Amino acid sequence: MSPFRKVLIANRGEIAVRVARTCRVMGLPTVAVFSEADRDALHVRAADEAVPIGPAEAARSYLSADAILEAARRTEADAVHPGYGFLSQSADFADAVAAAGLVFIGPPGPVHRRMGDKQGARRLMAASGVPVVPGYHGDDQQDATLLAEARRIGWPVLLKPSRGGGGKGMRAVAQEADFAPALAASRREARAAFGDDVLVLERLLERPRHVEVQVLADSEGCVVHLGERECSIQRRHQKVVEETPSPALTPALRASLCAAGVAAARAAGYLNAGTVEFLLDSRGAFYFLEMNTRLQVEHPVTEMVTGLDLVRLQIEIAAGRPLPFAQEGVVARGHALECRLYAEDPRKDDLPSPGLILHLAPPEGPGVRFDSGVAAGSEVTVHYDPLLAKLVTFGGDRAEAVERMAEALSRTAVLGVVTNLMRLRAILGHPAFRAAELHTGFIEEHLDELSPEGCPSAEALAAVAAALHHPTGRPRAATNGPVAADPWSSLGPWRLGEAS
Amino acid sequence: MRLVCGDEGHEVGVRPGRDGLEVTVDGHPFRLRVFEAAPGTFVLEDGARRETFHCVRDGDEVHLFWRGVVHRLTEEREGGRAAHRPAASGLVAPMPGKVIVVRAAPGQAVRKGDELLVIEAMKMENALRAPRDGVVKSVAAKPGDMVGPGVVLVELG
Repeated sequence: MSPFRKVLIANRGEIAVRVARTCRVMGLPTVAVFSEADRDALHVRAADEAVPIGPAEAARSYLSADAILEAARRTEADAVHPGYGFLSQSADFADAVAAAGLVFIGPPGPVHRRMGDKQGARRLMAASGVPVVPGYHGDDQQDATLLAEARRIGWPVLLKPSRGGGGKGMRAVAQEADFAPALAASRREARAAFGDDVLVLERLLERPRHVEVQVLADSEGCVVHLGERECSIQRRHQKVVEETPSPALTPALRASLCAAGVAAARAAGYLNAGTVEFLLDSRGAFYFLEMNTRLQVEHPVTEMVTGLDLVRLQIEIAAGRPLPFAQEGVVARGHALECRLYAEDPRKDDLPSPGLILHLAPPEGPGVRFDSGVAAGSEVTVHYDPLLAKLVTFGGDRAEAVERMAEALSRTAVLGVVTNLMRLRAILGHPAFRAAELHTGFIEEHLDELSPEGCPSAEALAAVAAALHHPTGRPRAATNGPVAADPWSSLGPWRLGEAS
Repeated sequence: MRLVCGDEGHEVGVRPGRDGLEVTVDGHPFRLRVFEAAPGTFVLEDGARRETFHCVRDGDEVHLFWRGVVHRLTEEREGGRAAHRPAASGLVAPMPGKVIVVRAAPGQAVRKGDELLVIEAMKMENALRAPRDGVVKSVAAKPGDMVGPGVVLVELG
């Protein structure tokens, strides 16, 4: 029995593709929405129907509640999955979806409002016995007040937009001299990304780990956790590599962290899937960071170790069904890792690298999952997040998951746009990563400067020359056409059993 | 033909042989067979050894994925012009975006690494820094400008 008639996916990129896949499995028809820049995007092909919702600019397309609700009305969709980013944490959007008589697949407006206001969320957590980081979360936003509070908290201080997430608008300030320009930049970014420039200040913990708890809450008030994820490998406050379980936790610490996650969800009056983020210091103390009232980018690692489909659970909870298991029914086994493949140039200060994907060969193998928002022929534009795809590996233990990831990365070929692949490979190969000595400054400490990769060997050049000489050697136009749906149909017989 | 990688250039010759292709790189001969397994995906055969690699041509540029590493090469054909890149005389926009902040002014002495401009692209602010020490000769952007990749934004003397 289908929970809904049709699900509209109010997002783009890999997450829209991923949501559509679960809907297919559930027999739920889907509607994709797309901006003018995304007419030929992969997520449009992943759905059963597709509706244009406006120009490339996100503010007038993927962030336009009116355009999205109009698309839902036209296609007679009765549920909306927001993905992550864009409107996924907008209380007003959740309210508007409900007011239009549709079901929002996520928490209701008031929950977003409660947890989206970082100052209020922090007060609520402190009052519920969940530990919080020392900081300033006041309404007085004058420069002088913020500077005085930064001095009181002590350097280094972190500036964060009160609304929003994903690292946008966040700035670490090491000393007083850097405060004024950082404040101005954070406000501009916060205003541009979230339409609101209220900032909070927090003490920046030294070498902390980022550990978060996945929670699920149903409409009958049942709250369970699906364990934790460690996301300490970050760049500019943007997660790059995630894993579960966290190698930093003892069983006792894991139990108290997950209990705090459940307590936070209960205090929030939570419904549907959510994530409670904590910072863990070197002494094993943890502090509430924020709650993400949506599906996380890194949810696949939890899926790999629990065997659950989080999008399916989100849909069932939204349909009013009770959770199909209690806490004791959640069993995690093995270890999972995720690497985020970004169209960013790690040799140029991680500058975004838009362009045409000329070629994409996803990795395959035991315990390998590749969630991509692009294919050969996809255009990566400046309008949206530079995340191209997520590479996920599962292993019986961390060493096996790491081994499989290192191998899979060495076979992930993306040509046409510059990606962070070399940095991912350097992270996976680093002794400190292998030893699980992680903290949020890991990349800056170990891998900020990547050694130049040098030029290809003479043999590689000979191979290139032969490939270019090949009668069907690829001129650019040939890769722009539709990608063969079935790779076996385009493979020659010599590849079977021989090539990797 | 000549394949250029950064400052390195290599003379490459290809001609059909009795069994596969005879390729020379800087005079060294290679005897190998290369098959296209799928668009852009090739298999090199060297005796019993097999090696899969990926290669796409885009104008004069050749994109190569070889043993886990991406290389960008430039192809120079015989008699053709050398691939010219503008001399690095200043700060070039590395991607399309909107100029948010301009910190450089003509006559100003700058040091390598100084923040000269801030561009917004993909919803993030990206600081553009001086590629070397020098004096600002001219500034060709103001806040609010949309700039394309390759545009010289700040000229350094």
